[in-house]
Amino acid sequence: MKLTRRQFTLATLMAAGTAGLPVYVKAQGKKTIAVLFDGLYSPFWVAGLDVIKQDLTKRGYEMVQAISDKDDNRQFEQVRAMLARKVDGIIIVQTDSNAVIPAIKAANDARVPMVHFNRPPAKTDAFSVAVVADNRSITNATVEHMVKVAKEKGGKYKAAILIGNLGDPNAIGRRDGFFDVVDKNKDIIDVVARIPTEWNADVAFAGLTNAFQANPDINFLFTSSDFLFPQIVQVLKTRNKFQPIGHKDHIIFGGFDGDAMAYELLKDKYLDADGVQDLFKEAELAVNAIVDLQEGKTVERVLLDPGFAIHQANLEQARDRMWGYSIYKQKNG
Amino acid sequence: MNTVRLRLALLRNAPVALFVVVLAVFGSLSDRFLDVQNFTNILIQASHIAILGIGMTFVLLTAGIDLSVGAVMYLSVALLGIYLADASPILAVPAMMAVGALFGLVNAFFVVRLRVAAFIVTLATLFIGRGLALWVTETRMVFYKDQILSLARAEFLGVPWAIWVFAIVFAVAWIVLNHTPFGRQVYAVGENPDAAAKAGINVPLVLTTVYAVSGACAGIAGFVSITQVGAAASSFAMEKEFAAVAASVLGGVSLFGGRGGVAGTVFGAVLIQTVQNGLVIVNADPYIYPLVTSSIIFVAVFVDSQRSRILERLGRRRIRIEERPV
Repeated sequence: MKLTRRQFTLATLMAAGTAGLPVYVKAQGKKTIAVLFDGLYSPFWVAGLDVIKQDLTKRGYEMVQAISDKDDNRQFEQVRAMLARKVDGIIIVQTDSNAVIPAIKAANDARVPMVHFNRPPAKTDAFSVAVVADNRSITNATVEHMVKVAKEKGGKYKAAILIGNLGDPNAIGRRDGFFDVVDKNKDIIDVVARIPTEWNADVAFAGLTNAFQANPDINFLFTSSDFLFPQIVQVLKTRNKFQPIGHKDHIIFGGFDGDAMAYELLKDKYLDADGVQDLFKEAELAVNAIVDLQEGKTVERVLLDPGFAIHQANLEQARDRMWGYSIYKQKNG
Repeated sequence: MNTVRLRLALLRNAPVALFVVVLAVFGSLSDRFLDVQNFTNILIQASHIAILGIGMTFVLLTAGIDLSVGAVMYLSVALLGIYLADASPILAVPAMMAVGALFGLVNAFFVVRLRVAAFIVTLATLFIGRGLALWVTETRMVFYKDQILSLARAEFLGVPWAIWVFAIVFAVAWIVLNHTPFGRQVYAVGENPDAAAKAGINVPLVLTTVYAVSGACAGIAGFVSITQVGAAASSFAMEKEFAAVAASVLGGVSLFGGRGGVAGTVFGAVLIQTVQNGLVIVNADPYIYPLVTSSIIFVAVFVDSQRSRILERLGRRRIRIEERPV
């Protein structure tokens, strides 16, 4: 059979088209989402990354991930690299709420949707969606329970708070949530130590030790993150104050996050209350948002996780919603 | 000339004067600050930075730098928590020192044999060390058993265990630097490596040893720190290299080598910790912590630079040119 030049050209184009079809189909079917975290510094972030990964895989997405190690410039470069790679969306945890703005603008220019997981950006004209826990109200609920316990026990209380990084809006929300409640109860609670931890374990350890040196009778303690529990337990043990609820030297103790150690301390009756971020809900909101944005749907700029406070009175009922309990169950069967 | 010498005498004692001012200010604000127990707390809290700084001092004295020490701390505690979880401290400490020393030898290989700048090599090994530790731990928090954690409360002759370790490391380092030929060689290499080589000093061996010492000290510092904080998250010992350099420089160790000593470094570490301690004791506003701490570091380093300038001026040769008779 003799082929004309025209037939040969058409056949070649058809063959090339057919050969390229699987790649095209794959590209359509397997969209890629970049997940950029600033670090995996606490169980919350480790679990968050795992949950997002599982959710994206379940929905048929391919995930590429990068960690910037608290380096804003590196994270910006990672965003640019992902945009050059033509990802279909970016889920990001930034270190600094202002430094992320150029990255949002770059994503807007490339028409790639961006969703912030658990940390909101600063105010900007650039468009992105933030999934955030209502840190202030969750802390309010947690500290209100602690105050309730204090009132039931009676007496006056000397309080200490371990504050997170002062540049982190979440840390500020938790600090403000704490003071909203204790300021209303100044008649029984005197805040004698405000300890900045910079989200750093040994700074927290030293700070709390020093706070107990200045005020050995601290009997009301709140930490802005559960990941500081090991250091707090060490300090309390050194001072013989790590005692369960009901013991005369028990310190009314509260935390924030809802991790596995928080569940263990609640179960063993060392912890009075813990503010729980609904990690599963936040991950789902983030993935839903990125999918919706990609499909051109309208999404609110801020998606709120109301979270909840878990305490001795509601532990049995609420623990299934606590992400730390899931991890505890996996570990301990 | 007398004025210069008077200024020099004042500047020489300025760090001590600064320390006294810090004590006086915080002491007047809280009666609990000048308590003996509080000084014990300060020494315990400063111990790991001081040990790290002592190792760093050896490297700085040779005009080098070791930015990998924080990563070595994390890597050694990660390996301890995962592979030596049941080991007694008698085995754990040498093992962690060995990990650190090995890392130091890797640094030394690139710095000494391949002549890559110490800053570049140790910056790279900082990331490698952290990367290895993250890989080993899978970025999860590592918890430790009670035989390690109980050391935070252990005492010998009424002195906490951490202070004993700190004191032993300091004493050994001080004797080595001030009373052994090796110590003199370290200073000589830092002052002028070419002259030291011409004088018959084995410069590569001295440099290799100081990096190994720095790594070993990082291993010990990691152990001391973990007995206190109880768990190692992925941020463990983050940026400790800067704290170690700050303690050394604050204590009068020159970044250009050949000047300073471990006593100064210990002083620097204790001064920084005293300020941090005082701010918590007086319940200061959390926003002023970095302002106060950085101001005191700035004053101390400024005073040190003035002192160096005057010393340099005094050390200059004075050549008087005789006027020729016309």
